Amino acid sequence: MNCHQVQVNLSLYLYGELDFAQEEALERHIAGCALCQQFLAREKAWHTGINSGVSDAPLDLLMQCRQELRTVIAQQGAKRNTSRLSRLGLSRMGWTGLFGVAAGRWSVRLALASFLVFIGFTSARWFQRQSLTDGMNGGAISAMSVFDPSSAHIRDIRPADNHQVRILVQQVNEREVTGTPQDQSIRELLLAAMQDPADPGIRVDSVEMLQGQGGSDVRDALLRTVRRDPNAAVRLKALEGLRQFSSDPTTRDTLKFVLQHDGNADVRSEAIDILAPVNQRFDITPDLAVTLQQIMRSEHENDYVRARCFQILRDVNAPLDVY
Amino acid sequence: MQAEAVGTLAVRRASERIDERELIRSAQHGDPEAFEQLVRSYDQNVLRMAFNLLHSQEDARDIYQEVFLRVYRNLPRFRFDCSFSTWLYRIVANLCLDQIRKRKVRKESSAAVETANGELDRLQFIPEHRADGDPQRQLMSAEVKTRINEVLDELTPRERIVFQMRHFQGMRLRAIGEALGVTEEAAKNCLFRATQKMRAALGDFV
Repeated sequence: MNCHQVQVNLSLYLYGELDFAQEEALERHIAGCALCQQFLAREKAWHTGINSGVSDAPLDLLMQCRQELRTVIAQQGAKRNTSRLSRLGLSRMGWTGLFGVAAGRWSVRLALASFLVFIGFTSARWFQRQSLTDGMNGGAISAMSVFDPSSAHIRDIRPADNHQVRILVQQVNEREVTGTPQDQSIRELLLAAMQDPADPGIRVDSVEMLQGQGGSDVRDALLRTVRRDPNAAVRLKALEGLRQFSSDPTTRDTLKFVLQHDGNADVRSEAIDILAPVNQRFDITPDLAVTLQQIMRSEHENDYVRARCFQILRDVNAPLDVY
Repeated sequence: MQAEAVGTLAVRRASERIDERELIRSAQHGDPEAFEQLVRSYDQNVLRMAFNLLHSQEDARDIYQEVFLRVYRNLPRFRFDCSFSTWLYRIVANLCLDQIRKRKVRKESSAAVETANGELDRLQFIPEHRADGDPQRQLMSAEVKTRINEVLDELTPRERIVFQMRHFQGMRLRAIGEALGVTEEAAKNCLFRATQKMRAALGDFV
């Protein structure tokens, strides 16, 4: 490969889209060519720069989209069902028409309803007895009527005696639980949901529900979220929840950590506002002052955080570089 | 109890991932829960892609709705001839391409983004990274970022969508080709042209 070939292929190389032979040839050339090394550095620079330009769609927009989609699909599903019934001619006829009975008289309706209840009760008893008999005869589970294949995962299939088959099924049963965030079981579920790796929407909702709840378990979960959650909107929400713990030393340490290390400017701005509330009296400790001085030295800090650091240090007559 | 609850969530998530095929089949048979799970597996990426391509919350929302409505309507006819993600991204790509082409006619301002609070500069949405002594980041002045956005807007719709899919979505060229209904080589050429343009336009800046 010559310099020109290397330079035109640098992007594909960084994307990992060159074949193995091309990649090796390119790397061999770059290892011995200062000019191409410069070109590679420049190529990496704009690749990295553009990477920083990607932004996540706002979380509230995602929630709004999901809600709207759910509504539209529910409407479409209802329309579809109505048109199916119309095609069958059932919607106008009414259910009593199925049995060839005129539904005008209450006595007839009552008799029909009693008859249907009787049929249902008798058939349920008959099916129950039948299933018990099958179970005793074959020894296999024949409760497929209470089994929902859509929420099941088949783990294993083996042949069994008498031409039967044994299927090992793992089934997740969904349950609805209702209660206040003070209820221990609800609280624990919300704390667990804060760690749900797949859905930032669930994490934001759980943090919101736990806001205003005291207790070290809530505080620790919020601290963990603020330090580790990959989504800035979730971290921001958790910071709001930490306001009530702002005098706690562990919380303040985490806020200082966030102020220095979080990659998102809004999160850092929220952190400094909790550490040093605007228009409120607060005590500035030496270690907080050192943190603020370090941020002041940071050339690329965003304007708001720098301005707040400057203001706080000036208010306590602390030097901007050495405390 | 908490560990148990985490375990339950983990099992639920694991079982969601285990077999997308089963999920699709259930959705095809009209299971709304399965369809919702399917949507949730992809909707963040779809919305991000639309948002980054179109720079407009309103347009991204429209694309989101249209994409998943088309999936909902046509899912019963999906025959697993290609992967579900390929099929989905084909819909996304076509809708976004149409929208970008319409936009090209209107020639919108490149750095403007619609938000709930009115129109703001797109640069405000670029996540800021702390200075950590990395010289590459120091090169990324506001001027360079503005120029990058201008160049992205100057790409042809197809170049832009290929670039978006490769650079921001991290999709392989083969998958991009399948989604756009072109060969891998054609997608590669498109990406090549896009990066050449970027390099030429940013030559004086970096």
